[in-house]
Amino acid sequence: MKTYRLAASLGAAFVLTASVSTAALAQAPVCPAPVKVLAQPRDGLTLLEDSKDEFKKLSGASFQIDYLNENDRRAKSRADASTVGNYNVYYVDEANVALFASSGWIAPLTDYYPAEYDFADFDPGRQKVATYDGKVWFAPLTGGGDLMVYRKDVLEAAGIQPPKTLEELVADVAKLNDPDKGMYGIALRGARGSGANVWRWMPFFKAYGGKWFDGDKPAFNSDAAVKATETYLKLFKDSAPGTQTGSWDESTGAFLSGQVAILVESTPLSGMAVDPKTSQVVGKVGFLPPPSPLPGGGYGHGLAIGTKANADDASKKCAGLFIAWATSKENEKRRLDAHQFGELNRTSILSSKEFADIYGADLGKALADTGKVTAVNFWQDPRWPDLGDRWGIILEELVTGTRTDVKGGLNELEAYANELVKKK
Amino acid sequence: MRRRSSLPVTFLVPTLAILLVLSMVPTLYAIVIALQNRELSMTGYSWVWFSNFADLFLDRRFLNAVWVSVKWEIVTVVATMAVAIGLGVLMFEAASPRLRNFYCLLFIIPVLLPRVSAAFVWKFAYHPLYGIATYPYRLVTGGLIFDPLSKPATALFAVASVDVWQWGLFFAVIVLKLLETLPPQPIEAARLDHAKRWQIHAYVTLPMLKAPLISLMFVKMIESLRSFDLIYVMTRGGPGVATETLDMYAFSQGFIESGKVSYASAMAVLMMIATVITFTMLWKRVQA
Repeated sequence: MKTYRLAASLGAAFVLTASVSTAALAQAPVCPAPVKVLAQPRDGLTLLEDSKDEFKKLSGASFQIDYLNENDRRAKSRADASTVGNYNVYYVDEANVALFASSGWIAPLTDYYPAEYDFADFDPGRQKVATYDGKVWFAPLTGGGDLMVYRKDVLEAAGIQPPKTLEELVADVAKLNDPDKGMYGIALRGARGSGANVWRWMPFFKAYGGKWFDGDKPAFNSDAAVKATETYLKLFKDSAPGTQTGSWDESTGAFLSGQVAILVESTPLSGMAVDPKTSQVVGKVGFLPPPSPLPGGGYGHGLAIGTKANADDASKKCAGLFIAWATSKENEKRRLDAHQFGELNRTSILSSKEFADIYGADLGKALADTGKVTAVNFWQDPRWPDLGDRWGIILEELVTGTRTDVKGGLNELEAYANELVKKK
Repeated sequence: MRRRSSLPVTFLVPTLAILLVLSMVPTLYAIVIALQNRELSMTGYSWVWFSNFADLFLDRRFLNAVWVSVKWEIVTVVATMAVAIGLGVLMFEAASPRLRNFYCLLFIIPVLLPRVSAAFVWKFAYHPLYGIATYPYRLVTGGLIFDPLSKPATALFAVASVDVWQWGLFFAVIVLKLLETLPPQPIEAARLDHAKRWQIHAYVTLPMLKAPLISLMFVKMIESLRSFDLIYVMTRGGPGVATETLDMYAFSQGFIESGKVSYASAMAVLMMIATVITFTMLWKRVQA
């Protein structure tokens, strides 16, 4: 009897060991080494770093994120992706996705994005921005359009209704500008860059009917561009100090510290404006779509799979798993719980009761309304950053007064655009 | 017959070989790339020989960058040497040995700060609304705004002041230590002849320190050529192109804007040639 029991125990132990080994073999770690990510600082990514163990459990390896600010991240990722390829995952954006995709520096995302993470749940607008040449290249970390964010108390005190048209905006900004009382009419972006001053200028260009190219022929050197630039420069006279050579941080910083009456900025500002941790104007802020006919600047930033560091399919799968996990519903819920408004991209989260409870119905309505006027304002081409950055320099010169000839600046840009077209 | 030792060769050859590889390989590679039309986003390339160099002389931003670099060199070197000599002499004349040691410690701190950190600290200090450096102006003018980094006329000087803050104070310590090493007899002789304090320094001590002061100046000239990090953090070459030096523009063309690495290399090669020629001429002039 004893011998029988021993044999039965040994048999059971063998079966158990064998099944555990099979399961272990079936669930071999997806990632053999830590995933290296090059990104720009985002609250969502900082929060993600708290869950490193969760990813390690899921994939078998951890991850390391190197942060650089937007312009540096663009320069570094371009240099890295085109040469050594040190990073498995790149943070890309609407302005450089065409360049990265057409140069073969990133891989089509959905080929390696596990189905259970439900890519279709992302906001359709952001999916559109992540798509180039019919393929999806990144999973969004942030995105949206523009909102007009204004100080209700300041406008009320001045007896001014929130502007509904561009003409009204220009007139109201001049009336509200009162530097002696530390209040500036508006905050714009003056710092060079396709994603900086040019980004804020483009809605004006589009509002006046501007067009970048007609086929291969530059079409931007037009009355629309001149009018847009003149309006932008006129508004800049009432823009908060520090914004002439500043960008998003400077203009939103001036608003959140209570020194700006109105500004039209990317949607994450609205979440920051209602958060006491980041805003000194909580409870005094109103939200509306940009004054007509200004279109919102549709944008999206996200994570993409680098091709050089992920030479084989297994590495790409590992990078794909990291991106899927980082942008998963679970992680996005954590960002909602942490009140990280600008980091929310999934329709299941944006339409949830928790979202409405935190941010209120007004902001929800404004976001829905601005979605209708959000557009892609830039030239969707790999050469866009090159052209946009060149215009950024000229625009910065105009804003800071080192040059005054708008038409001369546009002529210079047109000559540069013709060179770019020839090189294609 | 004295036997020649192989020791110098044993020590020198590996070091010189490493130095040669480290300096010559990138230099030759830069020259080769400058003769091609490589771009980061293009896999292919061809030889364009001197076309990049010819294009540079038609590029208004390059010509502007040359002028900004010359201004930057002159402003930072002259101001650093003036601050160093002025403060060094002042400490020598007015401070007790104990106080001198305290000042030396204080004046060395800025140069120990990493350049990028110093640039960020001063960028905030120059903020038109909150900056500590612009506060006196706001106080005196009753709240008027002064934004030195966004004014073309002041941006270069504002950035240069950070460079001088770091190096001028450090050099002042060196000048003080040099003055302390001088023999006291010539100074005493001048005093006996009723020379004034400024005359003692203008005609006795500083001429005696000519050689080390010239060496300091050369060190600063070379250091000023590498101010990319400071300018990049504080102004990125702006407002417009008012502070865009050659290294800043080369980096812009190579990595920020267009990915034109060959065009950027052509700029680097021209910078190298200009630097070698200028420094050789200056060195020979000083030696003469």
